[in-house]
Amino acid sequence: MDDRRRRFEAQALPHLDAAYNLARWLSRSPTDADDIVQDAMLRAFRAFDGFRGGDAKAWLLTIVRNCWLSAGSASRRRGHTELDEGLADAGPDPEESAIQAGHQRRLNAMIARLPDDFREVLILREIEDMSYREIAGVTGVPMGTVMSRLARARALLREFAQESVKEGS
Amino acid sequence: MSTEHLLNTQSYLDGELSGAEAAEAERHLQTCEECQAFATGAAELSDALRRAPRYTAPAQLRAAVLARLDKEPVAFSRRSFWIGAGSGAGLSALAAGFAFLALLPPSIATLTQSVADVHAQALVSGKTIMVASSNHHTVKPWLAAHAGLSPPVTDFAAEGFKLTGGRVDEVAGRPAAVMVYAHGNHEVDLFAWPDRGADLPGTGMAHGFRVAFWKAGDLDFAAVSDMDQAAFQKFVALAKAQRE
Repeated sequence: MDDRRRRFEAQALPHLDAAYNLARWLSRSPTDADDIVQDAMLRAFRAFDGFRGGDAKAWLLTIVRNCWLSAGSASRRRGHTELDEGLADAGPDPEESAIQAGHQRRLNAMIARLPDDFREVLILREIEDMSYREIAGVTGVPMGTVMSRLARARALLREFAQESVKEGS
Repeated sequence: MSTEHLLNTQSYLDGELSGAEAAEAERHLQTCEECQAFATGAAELSDALRRAPRYTAPAQLRAAVLARLDKEPVAFSRRSFWIGAGSGAGLSALAAGFAFLALLPPSIATLTQSVADVHAQALVSGKTIMVASSNHHTVKPWLAAHAGLSPPVTDFAAEGFKLTGGRVDEVAGRPAAVMVYAHGNHEVDLFAWPDRGADLPGTGMAHGFRVAFWKAGDLDFAAVSDMDQAAFQKFVALAKAQRE
């Protein structure tokens, strides 16, 4: 194995789960996420000479997002139905897991309703635990825009949750 | 209650504030009902999301990725050459390696991409500035010492582009001096490297950043930013007009 491949496997490959998680949340489809991640890892490997150290995860997630954008328009037109498959196994108590799974489905459905621009900043902040600056780097928008999109995403989710309570669903 | 307060409360909750700013945000949160409601909603959401299981890459995806990497050609790695050249021996070894790499000029087509990549990576890593100063008398000698280049350094604060510092970076494997400016929330990188007679690309976009190139004196320049078109053009005009 050559040196570049070894360094790629040491620095970028450990973030494969993060890449897949982001691709799943963004594309909302296991098949699309699979394609996006394969494409992103290949692009990352080819561009690895240009990676100058620093945060490999943020660098990789930037590529994942770009791949999602360039692959995205087609699948977004197609619509999505495969929302809930493939989440990591729930806890050991079957009853609690069922309730948990129900909550999880509702939460996922609400997040899926968010516009793409809002959903991605929310996922990067809440699921990938990135700072505003890192999110700005990944999404290519100014920090002020990250902040307002994040606030809007949270406000929208609150509205969705209130609707869902009213409907008693 | 204003949008500004709400965004500030949010920054506080997200751990983006510290010291006096955090204390001020905490004080505001004590008295503002709307911010309190926002904080409660955000905390519930955050809890729910953090309890949620993460999607993990299926084993067959990992295998597929590795299989595709296997098919990639084994390339002569310029980057590892640099690491080897730079480690231990410092700047003089880099300078020695530089003459060799000058034989491999990057193509015009990739230069826009490369400059945007370097800018994006600096933003992502949060390392846009190695010397922080709005004083050109500080930035210029620092760049001369660290990049071996003496581009003109001007603070355009009066025109809306504040000089915030400089750094040394690498564009297509070559050292470049970078002057860093702030325009509101936007950052502008102004790159300079020695002109070797290579053609430069026209103004273009890559990764959502605007990139403009020009030659002046014995240097090539590139400006990169996510500013809007009008502000970007204004900055480029100012940068082009500056003299030693």
